[in-house]
Amino acid sequence: MKTYIAQRLGIGLLTLLGMSIVIFGMLRLAPGDIVDILFSTGGYVNPVERVAIEKELGLDRPVWVQYLEWMRQILTGDLGKSYRYDLPAWEIIRPLIPVTLELAVLSLIVSVALGVPLGVISAVRQDTPLDYALRVFSLAGLSMPSFWLGMVIILGLVAWIGWIPPVTYVSPSENFWLHAVQFALPSLAVGYRSSALIMRITRSSLLEVMREDYIRTARAKGQSGSVVIWRHALQNAILPVVTVIGIEFAFLIGGLVVTETVFNLPGLARFLVEAILWRDYPIVQNLVMFIAIVVIVSNLVVDMLYGFLDPRVRYGH
Amino acid sequence: MTRSRCMLLVPVLALAILVGLGVTPAAAQTPKSGGHLNIMLREDLSPGFAVHESSTISTSFPSMPCFNNLVVFDQLKRAETPENIVGELAEKWSWQDNYRNLVFFLRKNVKWHDGQAFTSKDVKFTFDMLREAPEATAKLRINPRKDWYANIEAVEAADPSTVVFRLKRPQPGLLNMLASGYTPIYAAHVNPATYRTACIGTGPFKVKEWRKGEFVDYVKNPDYFMKGRPYLDSLRYVIIKERGTRVAALQSGQLDVSFPGETTKTAAEQLKKAVPQLVITPVAQAVSDNIIMNTKKAPFDNPKVRQAVSYAIDRRGLIQAVHQGGAVPGASMQPKPYGVWGLLEKDLAVLPGYGKPADMKARARKLLGEAGISAQNPLRVEMATRAIAIYVDMASFVINELKQVGIEASLKQVETAQWHAMATRGDYQIGANLTGLGVDEPDANYYENYACGSPRNYSQYCSELVMKMIDQQSQELNPQKRLQMLATLQRQIEEEAARPILDWKLDYFTFWPYVKGLVPHDNIYNFGRMADVWRDK
Repeated sequence: MKTYIAQRLGIGLLTLLGMSIVIFGMLRLAPGDIVDILFSTGGYVNPVERVAIEKELGLDRPVWVQYLEWMRQILTGDLGKSYRYDLPAWEIIRPLIPVTLELAVLSLIVSVALGVPLGVISAVRQDTPLDYALRVFSLAGLSMPSFWLGMVIILGLVAWIGWIPPVTYVSPSENFWLHAVQFALPSLAVGYRSSALIMRITRSSLLEVMREDYIRTARAKGQSGSVVIWRHALQNAILPVVTVIGIEFAFLIGGLVVTETVFNLPGLARFLVEAILWRDYPIVQNLVMFIAIVVIVSNLVVDMLYGFLDPRVRYGH
Repeated sequence: MTRSRCMLLVPVLALAILVGLGVTPAAAQTPKSGGHLNIMLREDLSPGFAVHESSTISTSFPSMPCFNNLVVFDQLKRAETPENIVGELAEKWSWQDNYRNLVFFLRKNVKWHDGQAFTSKDVKFTFDMLREAPEATAKLRINPRKDWYANIEAVEAADPSTVVFRLKRPQPGLLNMLASGYTPIYAAHVNPATYRTACIGTGPFKVKEWRKGEFVDYVKNPDYFMKGRPYLDSLRYVIIKERGTRVAALQSGQLDVSFPGETTKTAAEQLKKAVPQLVITPVAQAVSDNIIMNTKKAPFDNPKVRQAVSYAIDRRGLIQAVHQGGAVPGASMQPKPYGVWGLLEKDLAVLPGYGKPADMKARARKLLGEAGISAQNPLRVEMATRAIAIYVDMASFVINELKQVGIEASLKQVETAQWHAMATRGDYQIGANLTGLGVDEPDANYYENYACGSPRNYSQYCSELVMKMIDQQSQELNPQKRLQMLATLQRQIEEEAARPILDWKLDYFTFWPYVKGLVPHDNIYNFGRMADVWRDK
């Protein structure tokens, strides 16, 4: 097990190294840079001043030197300075992380709480009106982008009751209930979409397992329907669902851009897009690396979970 | 007459008297101190509070409460005329030596937000830095309004409360530029780079916190030089990127005040329908839609082709189709009654693009024919514009208009990161552009956008005659005579299609009725100091 984890971590580090090269290269290949944008706020470009700013920001150095400098900064825990804000990148990134993590976790909880039970019901009541209704519900979730649903929620609320959730971030220590309200609606909007996918995977996986011989044996032994479903069938059907949950979590960390924008939540996904538009390399590079780390770790956690959920899965052999 | 009728008549008569005196009921109310306002921002401050390094309303508007100018356009009057300029850090001023010297007598006992005393050294520091004088002790990273101060020969701090601006030649318009929201005074003891992350001003509010991408919080400056001001205890500028959310936040009362230039006519109509009590004031933005044509490259180096483009675009059609009536026609200065120097409607009627559309297009075809372009030999060009909806909508309309006279234009959307670099370098043929005027002052406009060699003269249009006219009007001391000279100049520029102006946009500035003392100006860049604003709730 330890060897397996070490191997996975090693592969993860190599992946991060590859990612760093790709991120760094792609950012430099994109047309325009921060100096163009700084001048854009002034409405002109002056070649002499441009050279001075490039020097000030270290953009006049060869690209490979800039890359090595970034690697050195990462290894020493210094993430550099935001070009746009003239502040340490970590100082800007730090407050964004809990917001996105909280939204992603809450959305995931909503999606699992909705998706797994509804998937089970749908499978058990296969081809009944309830199954059809739940399938329509899940298809609707998959078809409606969460940002669209979010905007409909906002516009609906303001039109009907003249109220919307707070548009400035309220921390739990400041006002817990307002904080809960602020996160409830975006979590529901995002969670509903994810729950649709989880529900469909749960349903198909469970239907497959329900046709297995051991399920028939369990029924023949006289075990009750709920025991067969929840103890025997679901435990074996859950592995693909766990995989999807892991992928969804990783996706949510970087994929909440529009939801964060619509609900005006100061998360890292929204900030990342802004930073890309500003060609704020230190912020973009470090945020993308953070997202890559979350993806790698969540995949590792999912793989570890397999071992706990299914005793047949063993690592290191 | 019954007693009750008498009772009813008293307030009506009182109101009539107040209106007759030019006093509105809101103005007649006694301001109340205290309270807080939430104000809309559509993007984060860039670059921070460094107003002198920026030309965007997203920097100037949320920075206004922190700073003061020497002089400013009266915050309680909508019109930005020279008569409406009032002293801020300058108690009074005087033109001397036939408008060659401008002397400011500064307020005493004014303090910076960090407690240091404000003196004439701060004024000298600011303007030496802006005009990049050899004796300047600081340099801006970028300096977009250097041209505004090109006529200043020296700034002398005669004593701690007197500053003399010595000019190379008379320039009465300088005072207008000093009254712009883009002309705050920086502290001499603060590195100008500091303003990118913090704000040390003398203004009515102090920055309490700037949470990047979220909000800017201000608290009342207890040491503000104007006793009893500001009325409000605090302000919060809330950054909301998504337009729908911004409108919903205003509608739900989470925001008290909208952002200048934010509300279109259609949006205003929808808002008024949803929340009838909202106060919506139509004002001019001082932002024009215009066409830039690269005069250094074929085919737009040919004046006839440029003129044809200008004739082909139906200005009134554009105002209706693109802005749903939320803009007004005008030449290179903002038209009356929104601006001081613009051409009158009757003067516009004879300019390219203002006559009957069919006649104008026929004229355009004739000009193109003279340039060797016809339906059989159409002109194919690339129309560049910023990849932002308001630019693309305008460009799409223009492309359709050009098609009708035999110019086949394809749309090229350019990302903001590349737009100004592309325009300054002249890497384009024709472009659909927006230009904001920081102040309704011809010198600011013409030296910035039409002068030979100016980096913001994107068309690279250069005419000796026009330069002479610009210089002449700049030093004319008689306002009436200057107005006439400017009318001639504007006609000349439009007829030569140097940078055809298509329209001047209107804003439908919106706030809740309990917000008092906030008067939107006919220029989005010059209001928002917030010292006189109070909350009647």
